[in-house]
Amino acid sequence: MIDIFTEPLRYEFIQRALIASIAIGVSCGLIGTYIMLRRMSLIGDALAHSVLPGVVIAFMVSGKSEIALFFGALIAGVVSSVLISFVQRNSKIKEDTSIGIIFTGAFALGILLVSQLKQVHIDLSSYLFGDVLGVSNGDIILSGSITILIILSVILFYKQLLVTSFDPVMAKIIGISTGAVHYFLMTLLSMSIVSGLQSVGVILIIAMLITPPATAFLLTDKLKRLLLYSALFGVLSAITGLYLSYYFNWTSGSSIVLVAVFLFALAFLFSPKEGIVMKYIKRKKTKKLNSSEDIVTLVYKYGDTKNAEELKEMLTSETGISSSKVNGIITELMRRGCITRTNGHLELTNEGKEMAIKLIRSHRLWETYITEKNIVTEDNIHEDAHKYEHLLDEDLTDELDKELGHPEKDPHGSPIPKKKS
Amino acid sequence: MEVIKVKNLTVTYNRKPAIKGVNLTINNGKIIGIIGPNGAGKSTLIKGILGFLPIDTGEVKILGKNVSEVLKKISYIPQKEQFDWDFPISVYDVVVMGRYPYLSLFGHPSQNDKSIVLNSLEKVEMIKYKDTQIRNLSGGQQQRIFLARALAQQSDIYFMDEPFVGVDAKTEKAIFELIVELKKEGKTILIVHHDLSRIKEYFDEIILINQTLIAYGETEKVFTRENIEKTYSGQLTILQKVNQLL
Repeated sequence: MIDIFTEPLRYEFIQRALIASIAIGVSCGLIGTYIMLRRMSLIGDALAHSVLPGVVIAFMVSGKSEIALFFGALIAGVVSSVLISFVQRNSKIKEDTSIGIIFTGAFALGILLVSQLKQVHIDLSSYLFGDVLGVSNGDIILSGSITILIILSVILFYKQLLVTSFDPVMAKIIGISTGAVHYFLMTLLSMSIVSGLQSVGVILIIAMLITPPATAFLLTDKLKRLLLYSALFGVLSAITGLYLSYYFNWTSGSSIVLVAVFLFALAFLFSPKEGIVMKYIKRKKTKKLNSSEDIVTLVYKYGDTKNAEELKEMLTSETGISSSKVNGIITELMRRGCITRTNGHLELTNEGKEMAIKLIRSHRLWETYITEKNIVTEDNIHEDAHKYEHLLDEDLTDELDKELGHPEKDPHGSPIPKKKS
Repeated sequence: MEVIKVKNLTVTYNRKPAIKGVNLTINNGKIIGIIGPNGAGKSTLIKGILGFLPIDTGEVKILGKNVSEVLKKISYIPQKEQFDWDFPISVYDVVVMGRYPYLSLFGHPSQNDKSIVLNSLEKVEMIKYKDTQIRNLSGGQQQRIFLARALAQQSDIYFMDEPFVGVDAKTEKAIFELIVELKKEGKTILIVHHDLSRIKEYFDEIILINQTLIAYGETEKVFTRENIEKTYSGQLTILQKVNQLL
């Protein structure tokens, strides 16, 4: 099994590809985090496309020189970002429109230049669609240096990037130039795009800037972890994509991006806090807990007067749960030692009684509270209290009791159980 | 002591003058309300004073200096909608930003900075939420952490843009008590206020504004029926007409 991973590593081009994958994952993951937080995904996409003419011109002038391509892409990226702001500041054209105009224009220019080349050289096509297996030593030095530069920038300018992203006004007060930070970030963004050109290609590189940070964002709400996770997801996507590309001869840009999207889908479904599947399971669990609490309360009130079958029928109609579910919950409560069955009657054990009293206490205290505070009319207080009795924990219930001056009876005249000392 | 001096300030917003020819001389140790209808230029006045918007004409001096030289001594608490509450940041991280003006380019908060931050959180009774992400706070708590940040900044002048919006009565009272304490320390607090309630109770002085300055002075003297009518009625239609021509 491990061979699948190690076997290709004896080839030098795979080793190079692996290093390139790590570089692109880290550089795009880090910069992408800020792009996402500053809601600049669109501008990221635009820059990624508008480096094309720079790349092609550099290619025409120098052939495949990494340094020329680096500067070609960097200049094109920075010029585009300056133009975008220039149009927006000097007319009533809004930023998104300005982005649309500049980047399609630059991309069109790039395509025109490509079509003027005698033949589309294989190296150039790898810059369009990505060819992680064709990474050269020069590419590695280039994207390696970019990655180190980006890591250093993110660490050294952590404060400045944080404040300008979260609260630009505070940044001004501190004396940080938001404009300078913006263009600094645009420069780093153009660089991170360059670092991924060879592996992922111009057309899809934006995915490496957006998808891993978005995945990470579903898993944490701390900035440092967000940066770390998105770099990790970037690296994981790039390496997995590399192997898929090697074994199945898939286009590497597509493979890498599809892995990144797959990871996002997993986080979207299963993230402990944000995942929709997890939220669904949590809702189900709460609902079940509420039902079993309702059942305990009803058994406490009517267990003596009704036999098991009558009681079950009543439980079904009172709680609105199907009879099979009522049976299931009762079986579970019996297993947990809250309910026993004697002489055809359901009875609460001591543990079950304690639970019921606690619930009745918070229910009646809540009813008293909302009546006193005039929160709702008397008609619907019961229903309302019913919702809240499950939510109130013991501390809050005690607080209610204290605030109300330890009342004896609720608004319906029913006694409020005292706290068990 | 004279803290803010505004001479003939005109600020254009979206190519129309939002405030015009405003003159103010504000002394320290006061709580000052900035009052006027929607679109009267209340926020623009603050942003103009702070130099966040380009000034057309006029001059602003704070503590006798140009604004950019004394910004570090000024706290600005924006309206809540200005923030992305999903931002991955904890209460502590927000408040520690109040210490950033005192740090060098690559500097980190010192032990002293950290204890100032914790003290500020203590003062607004938010210490137990210090590691909470800001989305998980109530409206009043969100307001308090920005107040804590201003406290941590140890500013002399506080600008607050509608701090009581979306806050329950109890929190409003707590926030106001903190503001009064700041005043006692000789600080100056300017508050954009959205309605006419509690004006006499809250403010030592008020600035009534509707594009031009209607009145400024002690609340007792300035908060009159006549002035309020001037501020809230169509007295300024001429200026509005001029604006439409521009």
